[in-house]
Amino acid sequence: MSPYSGSMYHGSPLLLPVLGPLTVNRVKGLPAHLFCSLIFVIVDFVTAMLIRATGQKLMSTYHRSLQLLNLSCVQETAGHTHVGDLASLIFLWNPFTIITCAGSSTSPIDNLMIVLSIYGACSGLSSLASFGWVVSTHLSLYPAILVIPVILLLGYGPDAPPSKLFFLKKSNESGGSCPKDKTCSEQKSKEESHIRNFCWRPVLFFILWSLIWSSYILFLSFISLKEFGGLSEMVKKTHGFILNVEDLSPNIGVFWYFFAEVFEFFRSFFLIVFHINILFMLVPLVIRLRHRPCFLAFVYIAIMSMLKSYPSVGDSALYLGLLGLFANELAEMRFSFFLLCGYVGISLLSPVMHNLWIWRGTGNANFYFATGIAYASLQTVLIVECVSTILKHDRMLRNKLTT
Amino acid sequence: MPAEKDEAKEPRARPRLIIFMASFLVSHSTLFSVVCCIAGLIALLLLPILAKSTYISENALMPGSANPVFSGQDVSEASRLVKDITETQKMGKTTGIEIQRLIIQRMADVGAEVYYHKFQSQSNQFHPFRFFSCDSNSAVTESNSNTSNGLNTVGIIRAPRGDGKEAIVLVTPYNSEYVKLNDALSLGLGFSIFSHLSRVSWLAKDILWLAADSRYGEYSSVSAWLKDYHNPVFFSSENVDANVTHDKDFLNMENKNMLNGRNVDVFKRAGTMAAAMVFKVGEAMERDPRDILTIYAEASNGQMPNLDLINVVHYLAVHRQGFRVNIGKLASLVNSAWLNLVGQILEWLGNLAKNLNPKWNFGISSADYAEGAATVASSMYHQALGVPTGSHGAFRDYQVDAITFSFSSRFYLNNENMQSSFILRGGRLIEGVIRSVNNLLEKFHQSFFLYMMTAPNKFVSVGVYMIGFALLALPLPVVAASLFLNHKATGFTGTEEAKIAFGSWQWLYAAKTVLMIDLWALIASLMPYFISQIPNISPTESTLLWVALSVSILAVLYVILGSPYSHSAQIGALLIVPMCLVVRPLKKHMQGALILRALSLVCNLVMVVIGFPPAALLLMKGFSEGFEGVGIGAVWEVAEFLWVWNSATYLYVFLVHLPCWVLCIHILLHP
Repeated sequence: MSPYSGSMYHGSPLLLPVLGPLTVNRVKGLPAHLFCSLIFVIVDFVTAMLIRATGQKLMSTYHRSLQLLNLSCVQETAGHTHVGDLASLIFLWNPFTIITCAGSSTSPIDNLMIVLSIYGACSGLSSLASFGWVVSTHLSLYPAILVIPVILLLGYGPDAPPSKLFFLKKSNESGGSCPKDKTCSEQKSKEESHIRNFCWRPVLFFILWSLIWSSYILFLSFISLKEFGGLSEMVKKTHGFILNVEDLSPNIGVFWYFFAEVFEFFRSFFLIVFHINILFMLVPLVIRLRHRPCFLAFVYIAIMSMLKSYPSVGDSALYLGLLGLFANELAEMRFSFFLLCGYVGISLLSPVMHNLWIWRGTGNANFYFATGIAYASLQTVLIVECVSTILKHDRMLRNKLTT
Repeated sequence: MPAEKDEAKEPRARPRLIIFMASFLVSHSTLFSVVCCIAGLIALLLLPILAKSTYISENALMPGSANPVFSGQDVSEASRLVKDITETQKMGKTTGIEIQRLIIQRMADVGAEVYYHKFQSQSNQFHPFRFFSCDSNSAVTESNSNTSNGLNTVGIIRAPRGDGKEAIVLVTPYNSEYVKLNDALSLGLGFSIFSHLSRVSWLAKDILWLAADSRYGEYSSVSAWLKDYHNPVFFSSENVDANVTHDKDFLNMENKNMLNGRNVDVFKRAGTMAAAMVFKVGEAMERDPRDILTIYAEASNGQMPNLDLINVVHYLAVHRQGFRVNIGKLASLVNSAWLNLVGQILEWLGNLAKNLNPKWNFGISSADYAEGAATVASSMYHQALGVPTGSHGAFRDYQVDAITFSFSSRFYLNNENMQSSFILRGGRLIEGVIRSVNNLLEKFHQSFFLYMMTAPNKFVSVGVYMIGFALLALPLPVVAASLFLNHKATGFTGTEEAKIAFGSWQWLYAAKTVLMIDLWALIASLMPYFISQIPNISPTESTLLWVALSVSILAVLYVILGSPYSHSAQIGALLIVPMCLVVRPLKKHMQGALILRALSLVCNLVMVVIGFPPAALLLMKGFSEGFEGVGIGAVWEVAEFLWVWNSATYLYVFLVHLPCWVLCIHILLHP
């Protein structure tokens, strides 16, 4: 039978044979979906480990570049946390992650693939990065935009202060004497390398590997769907389903409410408007944050989970976990207390409103949508604050360097 | 980026208006909170004045548009059934189900589909997982020996003009072990309506009549029937039935459960329920010049039926059948002196306003005010307690609007003439309501679901009563913000904290304290389940055990997780205070005049005592019933009561109020 007959399943045809049997098998006396949930727990754990490894990479790069800039004092005053541990712990202890596992949503797998591609890009493994990127795009389409931070990561290496600072540093020191143990030329070449020219080799490898992986995945999907309409059916029922917003059952996003209200002849116009929202933000962010590709990836993921057509709390779990990776830079973030209160309030009120509307029948859709729109605004505040704090941090580094 | 540099160098511009206002509010938070609290209290006291008259907002209902045709012939049917029932009662019982059999025989005679519904009244007990799941699996009910069985009788009239997808439910609870005259009369009333409806041609919705065997409580029989109605059992349930019948020798199935060649043990259904009416005949009240109809509407956890249903009943009862409609009120409040005083002040103010401008006509008399305040207080109490006021509460869990009304006559109904005129009017009222509901095209959705009644024809909608609550709650975030900002201004001076400071993330340590206390509260709220497993334990012992265990767990958690950092507790309260609407911690002021200090201390102590839920409960009980009979065991009994009824009040008290109280103590004892 075709996996897409009926309207139950809109995921990848490759995921179904893996997870499908697990939801059917049940041990007596235990709830169904137990195996499935267990798989998700393991997947989440692997994700957390990858986040931790990424955090360690980020930390070491950051230390090195601060040392190069003679700004180690910044670290001492601001204090430094082991961001990897922090981020992975935040990810694992986040109630959203736990709820996602308990509800056996497939978003842990999407999250794993996204984190895999970021980790691969951070450690310069083009094949791993491309695998993660291709599979996550195949699963949920939106991670396609992560190609920009991944390429930047492969080209420039992990996050560092803006390259202008290194130029500034060099011009400051150009008149001074060379350090003791190294010759001038060596020092110069080293600094050249830290100004970080874009290196094309891993990027080319990434493109090559992406081609290989995507053709492989398409081939596998083709085999599994040979009798049921082939790849066109798959694209229509997975990515087309995401883009067309056919399912209007309420979720924590804002799309369902809007498209339930919109007139039919405006629908395609508004579909374009809503989806292009994400694309509009890509270029300005990449111009401003190109020296911090990892942070850029975090911002993209947060935007994605806000403007997705079918968002879930699993997406929030991922970006809240990744937020921990930038704990040192975001130490001065404003509104953190307000944001926490907001998240707690929304996660308590949202089920209540859903219950009032769907089960008790005493509320209406506006009750629930109000929490949805408050949630979207909270996420907006979070993203704006994060970006502005990072920019402020960079400015602070420059001030330290010039004075 | 030259532009940014310029911006940074520019002197800071004048703050925008909204920021200015916010900072003004925050800096005057004490004054603001006092003003808001007083305004909130005044708004709550004004509720009876702000109430609007009810109106029927669903046009399809058209109450009273057709003349009722319920006639003397139907009344004679009722009298016949009442007579039969009393005679059966006199003969003494042999099998215990004569009355059920009598009713079902009569229902079958008028051509209805009938069946018996057997149910086991489950002894309610604590169960943490059953909270909020109104439709727990019926398959897990073990048939142990101390559950007792009841037998409901159900009749269905298929509507001649309907498609069988909708139904109206009538419920008549009666005590099958000993049928008093009231019960017999309500059964007679129910049956006469039922038989009348079986002959009418205008029915578009099926009629279900449930004669609920309420010897184990009205609520349990109705909820058992509803559960079976909404959860079809697909596997064979013969084992359970066989057990029941063989164990209890309750029904001799072989020859008696066939009636007119039809099996009367098969559960039959009639589509979704549009509305349900529970009616009964209450005790006679002599003092009143008119017959009284008492309406009960509150379902579990403060849910109310659609206001239109109450309106229809009220309209027909008052304007067509000449009943006086009553709704519950706290009788002790009506005559209370201070309420009358407030009423007089408001009356005086209203008259003053009327003198100034004749169009300002909002004053009500002080008697009306006291009446309205007592009614709204009762409405508030029942909605907050979360325990339904009758068997209609079971319907609300399935999204069915239902109310209970009980008729009480002004005479004792021994006389047959009295009975028949009484039944005639009751029957006409119910017929009218059914006719209105029968006109509905969709389920009730037009009118209000969130409201409180101040009189049978006056209500306060959610938009009005939330003003008072919002005013009461508004100081909390403002005070929270001011505490937070003060802390930010002074917090960096501490040496120890600055080292581990995360910049703006300092509140994390306070959050840890709050989380710890909330965790403790969760454990404490689940503890009654485990305590109730211990056999042969008196309420007092359980309460003491509960308290001891909770305190010891709190101490352990405190040692393990308690935060040693200063200031943490202050902000700790911030997290929970915005959510908690009751307690505002008063910080200990070490500076200032002696009187202020003493006043603050006294306030703190009083609030700590009153804020502690068991203490508040005992005080309340003591004031209402006298202090002699109040023991610690009462706390356990109330907790059990709330838990059994799945009341959200229990969750509120334990997950919001109690942690907040503990945090206040934490702050008070803070060095």
